[in-house]
Amino acid sequence: MKYDLVIIGAGPAGMCAAIQAASNGARVALVDENPVPGGKLRGQVYKEPKSDWWIGEKIVRSMESKIKQLGVTCFLEREVWGIYPKWKVMLNNGEQLESDFVLIATGAAEKAIPIPGWTTPGVMAIGAAQVLANIQRVKPGNRVAIIGIDALSLTIAYDLKMAGVNVVGIYLPPLNAFSLEKSNPLKMIAYLSSLSHLAPNPMLKLLGKLGQIESVQKLGVNYYPPFGMKVWGIPLHLRKAVVEIIGNEAVEEIVVAAVDQNGQLGRKQEKRIPVDCACISGGLYPLVELANAAGCESVYIEELGGHIPLYNEELETTQSGIFVAGNSTGIEGAKVAMAQGELVGTVISIRLGFVEGGPELIKKAKEKVNLERENAVIKFHPGLENGRAKLERLSRIRE
Amino acid sequence: MRIKKHPILESLERKEVQITYNGKSYLAFEGETIAAALLANQIRILRYTEKGKAPRGIYCGIGHCYECRVTVDDERSVRACITRVKDQMKIISQGIDADEI
Amino acid sequence: MIICRCEEVLLRDIITSIENGAETLKAIKMETRAGMGICQGRTCRVLLEQAIAPYTDITIQETNNIMYKNPVRPISLANLSRSGKDSSQ
Ligand SMILES: Cc1cc2nc3c(=O)[nH]c(=O)nc-3n(C[C@H](O)[C@H](O)[C@H](O)COP(=O)(O)OP(=O)(O)OC[C@H]3O[C@@H](n4cnc5c(N)ncnc54)[C@H](O)[C@@H]3O)c2cc1C
Ligand code: FES
Ligand code: FES
Repeated sequence: MKYDLVIIGAGPAGMCAAIQAASNGARVALVDENPVPGGKLRGQVYKEPKSDWWIGEKIVRSMESKIKQLGVTCFLEREVWGIYPKWKVMLNNGEQLESDFVLIATGAAEKAIPIPGWTTPGVMAIGAAQVLANIQRVKPGNRVAIIGIDALSLTIAYDLKMAGVNVVGIYLPPLNAFSLEKSNPLKMIAYLSSLSHLAPNPMLKLLGKLGQIESVQKLGVNYYPPFGMKVWGIPLHLRKAVVEIIGNEAVEEIVVAAVDQNGQLGRKQEKRIPVDCACISGGLYPLVELANAAGCESVYIEELGGHIPLYNEELETTQSGIFVAGNSTGIEGAKVAMAQGELVGTVISIRLGFVEGGPELIKKAKEKVNLERENAVIKFHPGLENGRAKLERLSRIRE
Repeated sequence: MRIKKHPILESLERKEVQITYNGKSYLAFEGETIAAALLANQIRILRYTEKGKAPRGIYCGIGHCYECRVTVDDERSVRACITRVKDQMKIISQGIDADEI
Repeated sequence: MIICRCEEVLLRDIITSIENGAETLKAIKMETRAGMGICQGRTCRVLLEQAIAPYTDITIQETNNIMYKNPVRPISLANLSRSGKDSSQ
C-alpha cells in the first residue's frame, strides 16, 4: 500500500504528526505495536503548575477520536522491523507500507542498572510500575522500594503513592560500572538542585528548592538523616544503597547498606527490608534502531540520552524523507514531543504540496517547539540546552 | 492488588472476563493486559528461562524486553505486557517443560 | 550478577572472555552470546558497553557505530519470506 506519510509509533509525537498531516489532506498510516495508541503519554498524571491536572489518558482519547475522524489508517499490534529504500516500512505480519515520507516516533527505552537479584519476578523498570498503576490500575506491589533518584523515579513514586501503594523508600543504586554517578550522594544533591521549580508535584518542587540552597549542597550529604528524609510521606535516602534483591520465586527483601558521600559502601551492617516489588530507574535513552538500520547517521550526545539520529531544524535525518520526532530526537517531555510531531506534520504537508505559505507555517511550528521546551515541567537532563546546541552545531557542519 | 479508587483518575467501567493460566481459571477485566490481569491475581511468574530455569516476570512493561512472553491460545512468545486479555483466553507459561517438548 | 537477561550471561562471563583475549564488543558477543537474545540487546547493549569500558580504550561513541541491521525486531521466517526480504539485504 502506498501512503503520503507512514508514521512509526503512536505516542504523542506520532499522533500529533498524524493529525497535522491528515488535516492538511495527506493519506497517513500510523503503526504501533501496542493494542492502543498513546505511548508513554497514557500513563502520565500530574498537576500543572498554574492550571489543572494533566491527565494523559484523556488527551490521548481526544487525539484518538480526531485521528478516526480524519481517516488515518491505524495499524495497531504491528511491530515495525525494518525500513528499506525508498521507503518501505516492514510490519511483522508480512505487510509493507510504502511512502516517500516516514516519521520515526518510536520513543525511548529505559536504561537498566543491574543489581544482584534483578531478574527476580517483582523487580521491574520504573516505567512498568507507572503503566501498571496509572493505565492498568493494578498495584505493582504492596510494599515497593524504588532504586535510583531522578525526575522520572520521583514522579512515579508520587504516582504510586496516589494509587495507595506503600512506597517504603527511594534509595541509591550500588556503586558499580553501571550506576556511575547515580550512586553518588554529592552528585545526586547537585542533580536535585537542577530540577525545575515548575516541577509538577510537591516532591520534585521541594527537592528542587532544597538542592538549590548552597549550605544544603555542601553539608547536606554529611548531615543527611540516617533514616532518610520524608518527602510527601516517602523516605528519600541519599546515604543508602540497595546492594542486593532477595527472593526465590518473587522478591521478598532488599538489602540496604549505608554509603559515604561518594557512594562507597561503608563497613556498617547491612539491613534487610521486606518488600514485594523493587523498581529500578536508570534513565531513558532514545530508541534509534530503525533509523540506524535505515542508514541514518547517528551522533552521541549524552545530554539528549546517548545515540540519536542526526537531524536538521525540520527534524529530517540524513536520509531524505525519513524524519524523527519526540523522544527519538532526545529525551524530553510529552508536550515537546507533541509540538515536534506537529512540526513534522507541517513540513511534510508542505513538501507534498498540500498547503501554501510554507516558511511562515514552519517558523510558527518551530516556535511552538521552543516555547514548550522553555515551559517544560520536567527536565530529564540538567544539560539539555547544551545538548541541543551541540546537535545544532553538528547538523550545520553536516550541511 | 487492584486500585479500585484513584484520587485523580476516573474509575474504569470494564466487563469481567474469564481467562485460564496454566490450566487454572481467573477473573480479568476486558481491555487490560495479560500481565496486569495475572498480577491482579497475585501471579508474578510468567515464564522460566531456557538455560537456568529461573523464574521471570514483568520487567519493562512496554514491550521492549520480551521477558513477559507467554503462550496464548497456542501461539508462542506473545508479550503479556502489551497483549490484552480476551474472554476464554488460554495462557500458558513457557520454559518449565521445555525438556519434554 | 546477570548482565544479559535474555541469554543469562553474567558479568563474570564477560570479564572472563576479555581476559581470554576477546578484543571487540563483537568478539565478546559471539563468545558469550550477550546481546544476542530475543530483545536484541535493547536491555543489555548499554550495559555491555559500560562493562567493557574499563578494559578497552574504545569509547562508547565508537562501539555503537552502525550496529543495527534489519530486522531490528524478532520476526518469524514465514513473515520474512512473505515480505520478500532477507536480513542480508
Ligand atoms: C516510564 C516513562 C514515564 C514518563 N513520564 C513522563 C511524564 O510524567 N511527563 C513527561 O512530560 N514525560 C514523561 N516521559 C517522557 C515521555 O517519553 C514523553 O513524555 C513522551 O511520551 C514521548 O513521546 P514519543 O511520542 O516520543 O514516544 P512514546 O510515548 O514512547 O511512544 C512511542 C510509541 O512507539 C511505539 N513503537 C516503538 N517502536 C516500535 C516499533 N518498532 N514498531 C511499532 N511501534 C513501535 C511504542 O509502542 C510507543 O507506543 C516518560 C517516559 C517514560 C519512559
Ligand atoms: S515486560 Fe518487557 S516486553 Fe513485556
Ligand atoms: S538482555 Fe541481552 S539480548 Fe536481551
